[in-house]
Amino acid sequence: MRLSLAQRFGAVVLAVVVLAAVWSQLAGFDPVLGVAPQAANLGPSLAHPLGTDHLGREVITRLAAACGAFVFPGLLAVTLCGALAVPLGALAGWAGGSVERFVRAMLGTVASIPPLVLALLLCSAWGNSHTHLALAAAIAYMPTFAEAVFARIATLRQAEFLVAARAYGLSEWRIVWRHLIVAACGPTIARQGLLLFSEYLVLETTLSYLGGFGVQEPMPSWGNMITFEWGRGNLAPLAAPVIALWLTLLALAWLAHGAAEERSHV
Amino acid sequence: MCERLVATGLEVRIGARQVLVNGAIALQPGEVVALVGSSGSGKTLLARSLLGLVDLHPGIVAGEVTLHSAHHPPTTWRAPTTRAAREAAFQPIRRDAVGWLPQDAQQALDPFSTVERQVGRAARGDVDVDALLVRAGFSTPGAVRHRYPHQLSGGMAQRVGIAVALARKTCFFIADEPTTGLDPVVAGQVHEALRALAEAGVGVLWITHDLRAVRGIAHRVIVLDAGHIVERCSPDDLVHERLASDAGRSLLDATRRIAGGVLG
Repeated sequence: MRLSLAQRFGAVVLAVVVLAAVWSQLAGFDPVLGVAPQAANLGPSLAHPLGTDHLGREVITRLAAACGAFVFPGLLAVTLCGALAVPLGALAGWAGGSVERFVRAMLGTVASIPPLVLALLLCSAWGNSHTHLALAAAIAYMPTFAEAVFARIATLRQAEFLVAARAYGLSEWRIVWRHLIVAACGPTIARQGLLLFSEYLVLETTLSYLGGFGVQEPMPSWGNMITFEWGRGNLAPLAAPVIALWLTLLALAWLAHGAAEERSHV
Repeated sequence: MCERLVATGLEVRIGARQVLVNGAIALQPGEVVALVGSSGSGKTLLARSLLGLVDLHPGIVAGEVTLHSAHHPPTTWRAPTTRAAREAAFQPIRRDAVGWLPQDAQQALDPFSTVERQVGRAARGDVDVDALLVRAGFSTPGAVRHRYPHQLSGGMAQRVGIAVALARKTCFFIADEPTTGLDPVVAGQVHEALRALAEAGVGVLWITHDLRAVRGIAHRVIVLDAGHIVERCSPDDLVHERLASDAGRSLLDATRRIAGGVLG
Protein backbone atom coordinates (compact mmCIF):
# COMPACT_ATOMS: atom_id res chain seq x y z
CA MET A 1 0.00 0.00 0.00
CA ARG A 2 1.71 3.13 -1.20
CA LEU A 3 1.17 6.09 1.08
CA SER A 4 1.06 9.62 -0.24
CA LEU A 5 3.06 12.39 1.40
CA ALA A 6 0.00 13.59 3.30
CA GLN A 7 -0.70 10.09 4.52
CA ARG A 8 2.87 9.60 5.63
CA PHE A 9 2.71 12.88 7.56
CA GLY A 10 -0.53 11.68 9.11
CA ALA A 11 0.93 8.34 10.06
CA VAL A 12 3.98 9.97 11.67
CA VAL A 13 1.89 12.39 13.73
CA LEU A 14 -0.43 9.61 14.83
CA ALA A 15 2.52 7.43 15.79
CA VAL A 16 4.01 10.26 17.86
CA VAL A 17 0.71 10.85 19.63
CA VAL A 18 0.20 7.17 20.41
CA LEU A 19 3.77 6.76 21.63
CA ALA A 20 3.35 9.81 23.85
CA ALA A 21 0.21 8.28 25.36
CA VAL A 22 1.95 4.96 25.95
CA TRP A 23 4.93 6.74 27.50
CA SER A 24 2.73 8.70 29.89
CA GLN A 25 1.17 5.45 31.09
CA LEU A 26 4.40 3.50 31.42
CA ALA A 27 6.60 6.28 32.78
CA GLY A 28 3.97 7.15 35.36
CA PHE A 29 3.50 10.81 34.64
CA ASP A 30 2.90 12.67 37.88
CA PRO A 31 1.10 15.95 37.29
CA VAL A 32 1.95 17.41 40.68
CA LEU A 33 5.65 16.62 40.69
CA GLY A 34 6.49 19.18 38.04
CA VAL A 35 5.19 22.18 39.94
CA ALA A 36 8.05 24.69 40.35
CA PRO A 37 6.87 28.23 41.03
CA GLN A 38 10.38 29.62 40.69
CA ALA A 39 10.48 28.50 37.05
CA ALA A 40 7.06 29.88 36.12
CA ASN A 41 6.30 31.46 32.74
CA LEU A 42 9.65 30.76 31.16
CA GLY A 43 9.80 31.09 27.39
CA PRO A 44 11.01 28.29 25.08
CA SER A 45 14.68 27.46 25.52
CA LEU A 46 17.03 24.52 25.37
CA ALA A 47 16.24 23.56 28.94
CA HIS A 48 12.50 23.95 28.44
CA PRO A 49 11.68 23.19 24.78
CA LEU A 50 8.19 24.68 24.95
CA GLY A 51 8.64 26.78 28.05
CA THR A 52 6.78 26.46 31.34
CA ASP A 53 3.29 27.38 32.42
CA HIS A 54 2.36 29.71 35.24
CA LEU A 55 2.94 26.96 37.81
CA GLY A 56 6.40 26.24 36.44
CA ARG A 57 5.40 22.91 34.90
CA GLU A 58 7.09 21.77 31.66
CA VAL A 59 4.74 22.42 28.80
CA ILE A 60 6.21 19.77 26.54
CA THR A 61 5.82 17.08 29.19
CA ARG A 62 2.23 18.03 29.84
CA LEU A 63 1.57 18.18 26.11
CA ALA A 64 2.77 14.62 25.69
CA ALA A 65 1.02 13.36 28.79
CA ALA A 66 -2.23 14.88 27.56
CA CYS A 67 -2.22 12.36 24.74
CA GLY A 68 -3.22 9.78 27.28
CA ALA A 69 -6.44 11.72 27.77
CA PHE A 70 -7.75 10.76 24.39
CA VAL A 71 -5.74 7.94 22.81
CA PHE A 72 -6.90 5.01 24.95
CA PRO A 73 -10.48 6.16 25.48
CA GLY A 74 -10.60 7.03 21.78
CA LEU A 75 -9.52 3.51 20.87
CA LEU A 76 -12.16 2.17 23.22
CA ALA A 77 -14.82 4.30 21.55
CA VAL A 78 -13.73 3.08 18.11
CA THR A 79 -13.77 -0.55 19.19
CA LEU A 80 -17.19 -0.31 20.88
CA CYS A 81 -18.73 1.59 18.01
CA GLY A 82 -17.24 -0.60 15.30
CA ALA A 83 -18.24 -3.82 17.04
CA LEU A 84 -21.88 -2.78 16.83
CA ALA A 85 -21.98 -0.56 13.76
CA VAL A 86 -20.34 -2.99 11.33
CA PRO A 87 -22.75 -5.90 11.94
CA LEU A 88 -25.75 -3.56 11.98
CA GLY A 89 -24.75 -1.82 8.77
CA ALA A 90 -23.88 -5.11 7.09
CA LEU A 91 -27.17 -6.66 8.15
CA ALA A 92 -29.19 -3.73 6.83
CA GLY A 93 -27.17 -3.57 3.62
CA TRP A 94 -27.31 -7.26 2.84
CA ALA A 95 -30.84 -8.09 3.91
CA GLY A 96 -32.56 -5.05 2.51
CA GLY A 97 -36.33 -4.79 2.70
CA SER A 98 -37.98 -4.44 6.09
CA VAL A 99 -34.79 -5.31 7.99
CA GLU A 100 -33.02 -2.41 6.32
CA ARG A 101 -35.88 -0.02 7.03
CA PHE A 102 -36.07 -1.03 10.68
CA VAL A 103 -32.34 -0.78 11.35
CA ARG A 104 -32.03 2.57 9.60
CA ALA A 105 -35.02 3.97 11.47
CA MET A 106 -33.41 3.00 14.78
CA LEU A 107 -30.11 4.49 13.73
CA GLY A 108 -31.83 7.67 12.61
CA THR A 109 -33.30 8.09 16.08
CA VAL A 110 -29.89 7.80 17.70
CA ALA A 111 -28.39 10.15 15.14
CA SER A 112 -30.58 12.96 16.41
CA ILE A 113 -28.67 13.02 19.71
CA PRO A 114 -25.70 15.40 19.68
CA PRO A 115 -22.53 13.75 21.02
CA LEU A 116 -21.77 16.58 23.43
CA VAL A 117 -25.21 16.48 24.99
CA LEU A 118 -25.08 12.73 25.34
CA ALA A 119 -21.65 12.93 26.94
CA LEU A 120 -22.83 15.55 29.46
CA LEU A 121 -25.89 13.44 30.21
CA LEU A 122 -23.95 10.24 30.83
CA CYS A 123 -21.27 11.95 32.88
CA SER A 124 -23.83 13.80 35.00
CA ALA A 125 -25.76 10.64 35.65
CA TRP A 126 -22.95 8.12 36.10
CA GLY A 127 -19.95 10.25 36.96
CA ASN A 128 -17.14 11.80 34.97
CA SER A 129 -14.85 9.13 33.52
CA HIS A 130 -13.03 8.20 30.34
CA THR A 131 -15.21 5.12 29.94
CA HIS A 132 -18.43 7.09 30.05
CA LEU A 133 -17.12 9.60 27.54
CA ALA A 134 -15.99 6.80 25.23
CA LEU A 135 -19.39 5.17 25.54
CA ALA A 136 -21.15 8.44 24.74
CA ALA A 137 -18.99 9.00 21.68
CA ALA A 138 -19.50 5.42 20.51
CA ILE A 139 -23.28 5.66 20.79
CA ALA A 140 -23.51 9.08 19.21
CA TYR A 141 -21.30 8.12 16.26
CA MET A 142 -22.80 4.71 15.64
CA PRO A 143 -25.36 5.87 13.04
CA THR A 144 -22.67 7.49 10.90
CA PHE A 145 -20.42 4.43 11.08
CA ALA A 146 -23.25 2.01 10.36
CA GLU A 147 -24.60 4.11 7.48
CA ALA A 148 -21.18 4.13 5.80
CA VAL A 149 -20.96 0.33 5.97
CA PHE A 150 -24.60 0.01 4.92
CA ALA A 151 -24.16 2.26 1.88
CA ARG A 152 -21.14 0.33 0.65
CA ILE A 153 -22.77 -3.06 1.03
CA ALA A 154 -26.15 -1.99 -0.37
CA THR A 155 -24.40 -0.67 -3.47
CA LEU A 156 -22.61 -3.96 -4.05
CA ARG A 157 -25.44 -6.25 -2.98
CA GLN A 158 -26.54 -7.07 -6.53
CA ALA A 159 -23.05 -7.30 -7.98
CA GLU A 160 -22.24 -10.18 -10.30
CA PHE A 161 -19.09 -11.15 -8.46
CA LEU A 162 -21.21 -12.06 -5.44
CA VAL A 163 -23.38 -14.31 -7.61
CA ALA A 164 -20.16 -15.86 -8.89
CA ALA A 165 -19.05 -16.41 -5.29
CA ARG A 166 -22.35 -18.17 -4.59
CA ALA A 167 -21.80 -20.26 -7.71
CA TYR A 168 -18.52 -21.39 -6.17
CA GLY A 169 -20.49 -22.82 -3.28
CA LEU A 170 -19.49 -20.25 -0.69
CA SER A 171 -22.06 -19.86 2.05
CA GLU A 172 -23.77 -16.48 2.36
CA TRP A 173 -22.04 -15.76 5.68
CA ARG A 174 -18.64 -16.26 4.16
CA ILE A 175 -19.51 -14.13 1.17
CA VAL A 176 -20.77 -11.27 3.33
CA TRP A 177 -17.76 -11.51 5.64
CA ARG A 178 -14.93 -12.03 3.18
CA HIS A 179 -16.08 -10.19 0.09
CA LEU A 180 -18.25 -7.46 1.51
CA ILE A 181 -17.12 -6.61 5.01
CA VAL A 182 -13.42 -7.28 4.71
CA ALA A 183 -12.67 -6.67 1.06
CA ALA A 184 -15.22 -4.04 0.11
CA CYS A 185 -15.71 -2.29 3.46
CA GLY A 186 -12.21 -2.55 4.88
CA PRO A 187 -11.19 0.96 3.81
CA THR A 188 -14.61 2.31 4.80
CA ILE A 189 -14.25 0.86 8.29
CA ALA A 190 -10.72 2.22 8.60
CA ARG A 191 -11.91 5.65 7.54
CA GLN A 192 -14.85 5.69 9.93
CA GLY A 193 -12.59 4.53 12.75
CA LEU A 194 -10.19 7.40 12.10
CA LEU A 195 -13.03 9.91 11.91
CA LEU A 196 -14.56 8.66 15.14
CA PHE A 197 -11.17 8.90 16.80
CA SER A 198 -10.90 12.54 15.83
CA GLU A 199 -14.49 13.13 16.96
CA TYR A 200 -13.51 11.74 20.33
CA LEU A 201 -10.50 14.01 20.49
CA VAL A 202 -12.68 17.04 19.80
CA LEU A 203 -15.28 15.89 22.32
CA GLU A 204 -12.77 15.38 25.10
CA THR A 205 -10.96 18.63 24.35
CA THR A 206 -14.21 20.58 24.31
CA LEU A 207 -15.40 19.16 27.61
CA SER A 208 -12.10 19.66 29.41
CA TYR A 209 -11.86 23.15 27.94
CA LEU A 210 -15.30 24.03 29.28
CA GLY A 211 -14.35 22.55 32.61
CA GLY A 212 -16.33 20.39 34.98
CA PHE A 213 -16.21 17.37 32.69
CA GLY A 214 -13.48 15.55 30.84
CA VAL A 215 -9.97 15.51 32.22
CA GLN A 216 -9.60 17.81 35.22
CA GLU A 217 -6.60 19.69 36.59
CA PRO A 218 -3.96 18.74 37.59
CA MET A 219 -4.08 15.97 34.92
CA PRO A 220 -3.35 17.58 31.57
CA SER A 221 -5.52 17.55 28.53
CA TRP A 222 -5.10 19.86 25.56
CA GLY A 223 -8.47 21.37 26.43
CA ASN A 224 -7.78 22.21 30.03
CA MET A 225 -4.24 23.39 29.20
CA ILE A 226 -5.81 26.10 27.03
CA THR A 227 -8.22 27.17 29.73
CA PHE A 228 -5.56 27.12 32.44
CA GLU A 229 -3.18 29.46 30.60
CA TRP A 230 -5.77 31.76 29.10
CA GLY A 231 -5.17 35.50 29.58
CA ARG A 232 -1.87 35.18 31.36
CA GLY A 233 0.14 36.75 28.57
CA ASN A 234 2.42 33.73 28.08
CA LEU A 235 2.19 32.53 24.51
CA ALA A 236 4.00 29.17 24.40
CA PRO A 237 1.86 27.20 26.91
CA LEU A 238 -1.26 28.45 25.12
CA ALA A 239 -0.12 27.90 21.54
CA ALA A 240 1.32 24.45 22.15
CA PRO A 241 -1.95 22.57 22.80
CA VAL A 242 -3.74 24.52 20.08
CA ILE A 243 -1.14 23.62 17.47
CA ALA A 244 -0.95 20.04 18.72
CA LEU A 245 -4.72 19.70 18.41
CA TRP A 246 -4.72 21.20 14.94
CA LEU A 247 -1.88 18.98 13.67
CA THR A 248 -3.45 15.84 15.09
CA LEU A 249 -6.85 16.55 13.56
CA LEU A 250 -5.18 17.34 10.24
CA ALA A 251 -3.21 14.11 10.37
CA LEU A 252 -6.33 12.09 11.11
CA ALA A 253 -8.25 13.81 8.31
CA TRP A 254 -5.51 13.07 5.79
CA LEU A 255 -5.27 9.45 6.86
CA ALA A 256 -9.04 9.11 6.64
CA HIS A 257 -9.06 10.64 3.19
CA GLY A 258 -6.34 8.27 2.09
CA ALA A 259 -8.28 5.30 3.42
CA ALA A 260 -11.29 6.33 1.37
CA GLU A 261 -9.18 6.35 -1.78
CA GLU A 262 -8.27 2.68 -1.42
CA ARG A 263 -10.30 0.38 -3.65
CA SER A 264 -12.43 3.28 -4.77
CA HIS A 265 -12.48 1.82 -8.28
CA VAL A 266 -15.51 -0.24 -7.35
CA MET B 1 -17.15 -38.90 -9.16
CA CYS B 2 -20.25 -37.44 -10.73
CA GLU B 3 -22.35 -39.47 -13.09
CA ARG B 4 -25.18 -37.25 -14.24
CA LEU B 5 -26.67 -33.82 -13.64
CA VAL B 6 -30.35 -33.91 -14.49
CA ALA B 7 -33.02 -31.22 -14.48
CA THR B 8 -36.65 -31.98 -15.30
CA GLY B 9 -39.86 -30.01 -15.48
CA LEU B 10 -38.33 -26.63 -14.70
CA GLU B 11 -40.84 -23.80 -14.67
CA VAL B 12 -39.57 -20.29 -14.02
CA ARG B 13 -41.76 -17.24 -13.57
CA ILE B 14 -41.20 -13.54 -13.12
CA GLY B 15 -44.36 -12.31 -11.46
CA ALA B 16 -47.12 -13.71 -13.65
CA ARG B 17 -44.97 -14.14 -16.74
CA GLN B 18 -43.66 -17.62 -17.50
CA VAL B 19 -40.09 -17.34 -18.79
CA LEU B 20 -39.12 -21.02 -18.84
CA VAL B 21 -41.53 -23.86 -19.55
CA ASN B 22 -40.81 -27.55 -18.95
CA GLY B 23 -37.04 -27.08 -18.97
CA ALA B 24 -35.33 -30.44 -19.03
CA ILE B 25 -31.67 -31.19 -19.54
CA ALA B 26 -29.24 -33.99 -18.71
CA LEU B 27 -25.47 -33.55 -18.56
CA GLN B 28 -23.07 -36.45 -18.69
CA PRO B 29 -19.31 -36.48 -18.21
CA GLY B 30 -17.21 -36.18 -21.34
CA GLU B 31 -20.00 -34.62 -23.39
CA VAL B 32 -20.45 -31.11 -24.79
CA VAL B 33 -24.08 -30.00 -24.96
CA ALA B 34 -24.64 -26.81 -26.96
CA LEU B 35 -27.59 -24.69 -25.83
CA VAL B 36 -28.61 -22.33 -28.62
CA GLY B 37 -31.41 -19.85 -29.19
CA SER B 38 -32.03 -16.18 -29.84
CA SER B 39 -31.45 -13.58 -27.13
CA GLY B 40 -34.03 -13.76 -24.40
CA SER B 41 -35.00 -17.33 -25.17
CA GLY B 42 -34.06 -18.48 -21.70
CA LYS B 43 -30.68 -20.13 -22.21
CA THR B 44 -28.94 -18.45 -19.28
CA LEU B 45 -32.01 -19.00 -17.15
CA LEU B 46 -31.99 -22.73 -17.85
CA ALA B 47 -28.28 -22.93 -17.08
CA ARG B 48 -28.63 -20.96 -13.86
CA SER B 49 -31.50 -23.20 -12.80
CA LEU B 50 -29.04 -26.09 -12.81
CA LEU B 51 -27.16 -24.20 -10.10
CA GLY B 52 -30.23 -22.85 -8.34
CA LEU B 53 -29.00 -19.32 -9.08
CA VAL B 54 -32.37 -17.89 -10.02
CA ASP B 55 -33.20 -14.94 -7.78
CA LEU B 56 -36.34 -13.82 -9.55
CA HIS B 57 -39.71 -13.64 -7.87
CA PRO B 58 -41.26 -16.13 -7.66
CA GLY B 59 -38.42 -17.82 -9.61
CA ILE B 60 -38.35 -21.58 -10.03
CA VAL B 61 -41.90 -22.61 -9.19
CA ALA B 62 -41.71 -26.24 -10.29
CA GLY B 63 -39.15 -28.80 -11.35
CA GLU B 64 -36.35 -30.88 -10.03
CA VAL B 65 -32.55 -30.90 -10.21
CA THR B 66 -30.66 -34.07 -9.34
CA LEU B 67 -26.97 -34.77 -9.12
CA HIS B 68 -26.13 -38.45 -9.46
CA SER B 69 -22.72 -39.43 -8.18
CA ALA B 70 -20.91 -42.72 -7.87
CA HIS B 71 -20.07 -42.60 -4.19
CA HIS B 72 -23.02 -40.74 -2.70
CA PRO B 73 -26.76 -41.08 -2.88
CA PRO B 74 -28.26 -38.66 -5.39
CA THR B 75 -28.73 -35.05 -4.28
CA THR B 76 -32.12 -33.76 -5.33
CA TRP B 77 -33.74 -30.37 -5.04
CA ARG B 78 -37.43 -30.08 -5.75
CA ALA B 79 -39.13 -26.73 -6.28
CA PRO B 80 -40.67 -24.75 -4.77
CA THR B 81 -38.75 -24.15 -1.56
CA THR B 82 -37.60 -21.18 0.49
CA ARG B 83 -34.49 -19.36 -0.60
CA ALA B 84 -32.57 -20.66 2.40
CA ALA B 85 -33.50 -24.28 1.63
CA ARG B 86 -32.52 -23.79 -1.97
CA GLU B 87 -29.13 -22.30 -1.10
CA ALA B 88 -28.46 -25.12 1.34
CA ALA B 89 -29.46 -27.81 -1.17
CA PHE B 90 -27.38 -26.39 -3.99
CA GLN B 91 -24.25 -25.58 -2.00
CA PRO B 92 -22.64 -29.02 -2.42
CA ILE B 93 -23.55 -29.05 -6.11
CA ARG B 94 -22.02 -25.61 -6.65
CA ARG B 95 -18.96 -26.23 -4.54
CA ASP B 96 -17.92 -29.63 -5.83
CA ALA B 97 -19.75 -30.57 -8.98
CA VAL B 98 -20.45 -27.68 -11.31
CA GLY B 99 -18.15 -24.92 -12.52
CA TRP B 100 -19.69 -21.78 -14.01
CA LEU B 101 -18.32 -19.24 -16.42
CA PRO B 102 -20.87 -16.42 -16.56
CA GLN B 103 -21.68 -14.21 -19.51
CA ASP B 104 -19.96 -11.05 -18.29
CA ALA B 105 -16.73 -12.44 -16.89
CA GLN B 106 -15.36 -9.01 -15.98
CA GLN B 107 -18.26 -8.28 -13.66
CA ALA B 108 -18.06 -11.77 -12.21
CA LEU B 109 -14.42 -11.54 -11.16
CA ASP B 110 -13.62 -10.41 -7.63
CA PRO B 111 -12.79 -6.72 -8.05
CA PHE B 112 -10.66 -6.67 -4.91
CA SER B 113 -8.24 -9.51 -5.72
CA THR B 114 -5.49 -9.90 -8.28
CA VAL B 115 -5.78 -12.44 -11.08
CA GLU B 116 -3.17 -14.64 -9.44
CA ARG B 117 -4.97 -14.69 -6.11
CA GLN B 118 -8.32 -15.45 -7.64
CA VAL B 119 -7.06 -18.35 -9.72
CA GLY B 120 -5.16 -19.68 -6.72
CA ARG B 121 -8.21 -19.39 -4.49
CA ALA B 122 -10.42 -21.15 -7.02
CA ALA B 123 -8.01 -24.09 -7.16
CA ARG B 124 -8.25 -24.55 -3.40
CA GLY B 125 -4.71 -25.86 -3.20
CA ASP B 126 -1.44 -25.93 -5.05
CA VAL B 127 -1.79 -24.90 -8.62
CA ASP B 128 0.39 -23.66 -11.42
CA VAL B 129 -1.31 -20.36 -12.11
CA ASP B 130 0.77 -19.65 -15.18
CA ALA B 131 -0.12 -23.00 -16.75
CA LEU B 132 -3.82 -22.37 -16.21
CA LEU B 133 -3.56 -18.91 -17.71
CA VAL B 134 -1.81 -20.37 -20.75
CA ARG B 135 -4.56 -22.98 -21.10
CA ALA B 136 -7.09 -20.17 -20.99
CA GLY B 137 -5.41 -18.48 -23.93
CA PHE B 138 -2.79 -16.12 -22.48
CA SER B 139 0.56 -16.17 -24.24
CA THR B 140 2.25 -14.09 -21.53
CA PRO B 141 0.66 -14.95 -18.19
CA GLY B 142 3.24 -12.93 -16.30
CA ALA B 143 1.76 -9.73 -17.67
CA VAL B 144 -1.67 -10.29 -16.13
CA ARG B 145 -0.90 -12.16 -12.91
CA HIS B 146 -0.70 -9.10 -10.73
CA ARG B 147 -3.48 -7.11 -12.32
CA TYR B 148 -6.88 -6.38 -10.87
CA PRO B 149 -9.99 -7.07 -12.96
CA HIS B 150 -10.58 -3.41 -13.70
CA GLN B 151 -7.14 -3.29 -15.29
CA LEU B 152 -8.04 -5.96 -17.84
CA SER B 153 -9.69 -5.57 -21.21
CA GLY B 154 -13.01 -7.34 -21.76
CA GLY B 155 -11.39 -10.18 -23.66
CA MET B 156 -8.66 -10.61 -21.06
CA ALA B 157 -11.23 -10.71 -18.29
CA GLN B 158 -13.10 -13.39 -20.21
CA ARG B 159 -9.96 -15.50 -20.38
CA VAL B 160 -9.21 -15.00 -16.70
CA GLY B 161 -12.76 -16.18 -16.01
CA ILE B 162 -11.97 -19.32 -17.98
CA ALA B 163 -8.75 -19.85 -16.02
CA VAL B 164 -10.64 -19.47 -12.73
CA ALA B 165 -13.28 -21.93 -13.87
CA LEU B 166 -10.63 -24.39 -15.06
CA ALA B 167 -8.85 -24.13 -11.71
CA ARG B 168 -11.83 -25.57 -9.90
CA LYS B 169 -11.65 -28.98 -11.60
CA THR B 170 -15.34 -29.80 -11.33
CA CYS B 171 -17.16 -32.67 -13.07
CA PHE B 172 -19.48 -30.38 -14.94
CA PHE B 173 -18.90 -27.01 -16.49
CA ILE B 174 -21.38 -24.39 -17.66
CA ALA B 175 -19.96 -21.84 -20.11
CA ASP B 176 -22.34 -18.96 -20.85
CA GLU B 177 -21.33 -17.43 -24.19
CA PRO B 178 -17.63 -17.68 -23.35
CA THR B 179 -16.37 -16.16 -26.59
CA THR B 180 -18.21 -12.84 -26.34
CA GLY B 181 -15.79 -10.03 -27.08
CA LEU B 182 -12.97 -12.31 -28.17
CA ASP B 183 -11.21 -12.12 -31.51
CA PRO B 184 -11.51 -15.20 -33.74
CA VAL B 185 -8.07 -16.56 -32.82
CA VAL B 186 -8.70 -16.46 -29.07
CA ALA B 187 -12.27 -17.65 -29.59
CA GLY B 188 -10.83 -20.66 -31.35
CA GLN B 189 -8.55 -21.30 -28.36
CA VAL B 190 -11.55 -21.17 -26.04
CA HIS B 191 -13.42 -23.67 -28.20
CA GLU B 192 -10.37 -25.90 -28.05
CA ALA B 193 -10.33 -25.56 -24.27
CA LEU B 194 -13.99 -26.66 -24.12
CA ARG B 195 -13.28 -29.65 -26.30
CA ALA B 196 -10.23 -30.55 -24.22
CA LEU B 197 -12.35 -30.33 -21.07
CA ALA B 198 -14.84 -32.82 -22.49
CA GLU B 199 -12.05 -35.14 -23.54
CA ALA B 200 -10.75 -34.96 -19.99
CA GLY B 201 -14.13 -36.24 -18.78
CA VAL B 202 -15.93 -33.00 -17.86
CA GLY B 203 -19.57 -32.61 -18.83
CA VAL B 204 -19.88 -29.23 -20.56
CA LEU B 205 -23.01 -27.16 -21.10
CA TRP B 206 -22.09 -24.57 -23.70
CA ILE B 207 -24.41 -21.65 -24.31
CA THR B 208 -23.65 -20.05 -27.62
CA HIS B 209 -24.99 -18.01 -30.47
CA ASP B 210 -22.35 -19.33 -32.85
CA LEU B 211 -23.94 -22.22 -34.78
CA ARG B 212 -20.86 -22.54 -37.00
CA ALA B 213 -18.60 -23.35 -34.06
CA VAL B 214 -21.03 -25.91 -32.66
CA ARG B 215 -20.23 -28.51 -35.24
CA GLY B 216 -16.95 -30.20 -34.39
CA ILE B 217 -17.17 -29.41 -30.69
CA ALA B 218 -20.65 -30.25 -29.47
CA HIS B 219 -22.10 -33.76 -29.20
CA ARG B 220 -25.71 -32.62 -28.80
CA VAL B 221 -27.65 -29.46 -29.50
CA ILE B 222 -30.68 -28.08 -27.66
CA VAL B 223 -32.62 -25.21 -29.20
CA LEU B 224 -34.61 -22.83 -27.01
CA ASP B 225 -37.24 -20.38 -28.14
CA ALA B 226 -39.19 -18.06 -25.84
CA GLY B 227 -38.61 -20.27 -22.82
CA HIS B 228 -39.50 -23.55 -24.55
CA ILE B 229 -37.16 -26.28 -25.69
CA VAL B 230 -38.18 -26.65 -29.31
CA GLU B 231 -35.54 -28.97 -30.67
CA ARG B 232 -33.01 -31.55 -29.57
CA CYS B 233 -30.71 -32.69 -32.32
CA SER B 234 -27.15 -33.49 -33.25
CA PRO B 235 -24.69 -30.95 -34.69
CA ASP B 236 -24.94 -32.66 -38.07
CA ASP B 237 -28.63 -31.76 -38.22
CA LEU B 238 -27.64 -28.10 -37.99
CA VAL B 239 -25.53 -28.36 -41.04
CA HIS B 240 -27.88 -30.40 -43.17
CA GLU B 241 -31.03 -28.46 -42.38
CA ARG B 242 -32.79 -31.34 -40.78
CA LEU B 243 -34.26 -29.01 -38.21
CA ALA B 244 -37.90 -29.38 -37.29
CA SER B 245 -38.50 -26.12 -35.43
CA ASP B 246 -39.03 -22.67 -36.93
CA ALA B 247 -36.76 -21.13 -34.33
CA GLY B 248 -33.91 -23.49 -35.18
CA ARG B 249 -34.29 -22.85 -38.88
CA SER B 250 -34.39 -19.08 -38.54
CA LEU B 251 -31.26 -19.20 -36.38
CA LEU B 252 -29.52 -21.26 -39.00
CA ASP B 253 -30.64 -18.94 -41.80
CA ALA B 254 -29.38 -15.91 -39.91
CA THR B 255 -26.06 -17.65 -39.29
CA ARG B 256 -25.77 -18.51 -42.96
CA ARG B 257 -26.42 -14.91 -43.95
CA ILE B 258 -23.65 -13.65 -41.66
CA ALA B 259 -21.26 -16.38 -42.75
CA GLY B 260 -22.14 -15.78 -46.40
CA GLY B 261 -21.48 -12.06 -46.05
CA VAL B 262 -18.08 -12.63 -44.47
CA LEU B 263 -16.93 -15.31 -46.87
CA GLY B 264 -18.34 -13.48 -49.87
